[in-house]
Amino acid sequence: MHFPKELRYTKTHEWAKRNGNRITVGISDYAQKEISDVVFVELPKVGNAVQQAKPAAVVESVKAAFDIYAPVSGKVLAVDTALESNPALVNQDPYGQGWFFEMEMSNPAEWDSLLTAEDYEKLLKQETKH
Amino acid sequence: MNTASGQIRHLPLHEKHVQKGAKLGNFGGWEVPLYYTSILEEHEAVRRRAGLFDISHMGEFFISGSGAEGFLERVLPRTISTMPEGKALYMPLLNDRGGILDDIILYRFSPARFLMIVNAANIEKDFRWLKSCGDQLADSIKSPFKLENQSDERGLLALQGPLSAAIVEKAFGIKSSGLGYYHFQPWQSGMIARTGYTGEDGFEVMVDLKELREVWERLFKAGADLGLVSVGFGTRDTLRLEAAMLLYGHDMDEDISPLEAGIRWAIELDKPSFIGKESLLAQQKEGIKRKLIGFEMIDRGIPRQDFLIEKNGALIGHVTSGSFAPTLQKNIGLGYIAVEEANPGNEIDIIIRGKPVKAKVVKIPFYKRPKN
Repeated sequence: MHFPKELRYTKTHEWAKRNGNRITVGISDYAQKEISDVVFVELPKVGNAVQQAKPAAVVESVKAAFDIYAPVSGKVLAVDTALESNPALVNQDPYGQGWFFEMEMSNPAEWDSLLTAEDYEKLLKQETKH
Repeated sequence: MNTASGQIRHLPLHEKHVQKGAKLGNFGGWEVPLYYTSILEEHEAVRRRAGLFDISHMGEFFISGSGAEGFLERVLPRTISTMPEGKALYMPLLNDRGGILDDIILYRFSPARFLMIVNAANIEKDFRWLKSCGDQLADSIKSPFKLENQSDERGLLALQGPLSAAIVEKAFGIKSSGLGYYHFQPWQSGMIARTGYTGEDGFEVMVDLKELREVWERLFKAGADLGLVSVGFGTRDTLRLEAAMLLYGHDMDEDISPLEAGIRWAIELDKPSFIGKESLLAQQKEGIKRKLIGFEMIDRGIPRQDFLIEKNGALIGHVTSGSFAPTLQKNIGLGYIAVEEANPGNEIDIIIRGKPVKAKVVKIPFYKRPKN
């Protein structure tokens, strides 16, 4: 599994990429593997406000639906409509073509609450160790 | 293989599944393989080639003795006396109210020996029920019969897919052409039947647990060149849903009758007597109010169990099974709705995360295998 250093992560397995106040959001390599075959996504509406740690999108496997939480608060600027016709991109390229949405961060202080790749990997080790 | 009830159970070949990298999940108190590689890959393998399922969680009851036929005839909703040896019959096990206690397959080994395969979650309930029916009927049947629960001593494998006949012939040296749909033959310590739960051609093999591993390995050896893969419970569910085969505890329960569940073909209301007959006759006379339907989504969304079904804002039913259908590339479901809304083509709304999403009633099965 692969967790790019330049990204930040959440405990709920989203990743966030920062470019000024623009944040791109997707799900981690670990999350896509756990969910397995992604067959459906429900994307937020462009212009909608999202709140940190609140559901912003939905991803579904053959078996079940999972919420995707906004890593920070703000307004949705763009969504990856390619996922609507090809949801498998989430499995094939979770950090690239499998992105979910882009947003404008309203409170930059929230960025610092996100996990670094190193912290996220530590968390995963604890979670998968029973 | 089993621990005391209330604890998680494992399949007899559990270690083998883990070695193969199975992703495990819970199914009615059993920790079973959900998939080995991916549900979509395994689904396609069964539709195009062949897949092997360990379904040893299922229950096996033997009913034997000179009174066995008479007992089953009084209890079950299909005619037993005319059932030839080597024949298998699907049917519901009914309570006094005509509600579905379970759905089972009955196999006749000899004039005085039958096998009943039941759902894992219902083993104890079904066995208790059959015992109590036996106690009540003992006086009127006169000839002795014996009920044995061998669920913990028997294993069951399902080989399914268009290449399964070729694999069975190669692995066991039997002629599959002699084994018609819903027929079986005694084999090793158990039997091999041409039955399944996927909508494909296929076989189910029951043997003593001590033979199970060897049978699994033999089938894999024979099927390796033909693309045989092991298949988990996740795929078992998508396959059976496309074929619109019902799942107990989801599409059927004790408060649903076979008339409502669309399995009228699996009961004989003109039989002299069986448990639940009077209730079903009354229900048939009155007419049913709800029935099982299949539907496919028109707008985007995946239906799931317990989602509500509406028409013009009014509640008309609920979903009992739903999924993305890999072969059809559509989102489909089964559910119960008011009979007046049940006609194919009728547009309905599935309530997904609080929002109505358009769907339409369609004929089932959703998927029928191409005839060769």
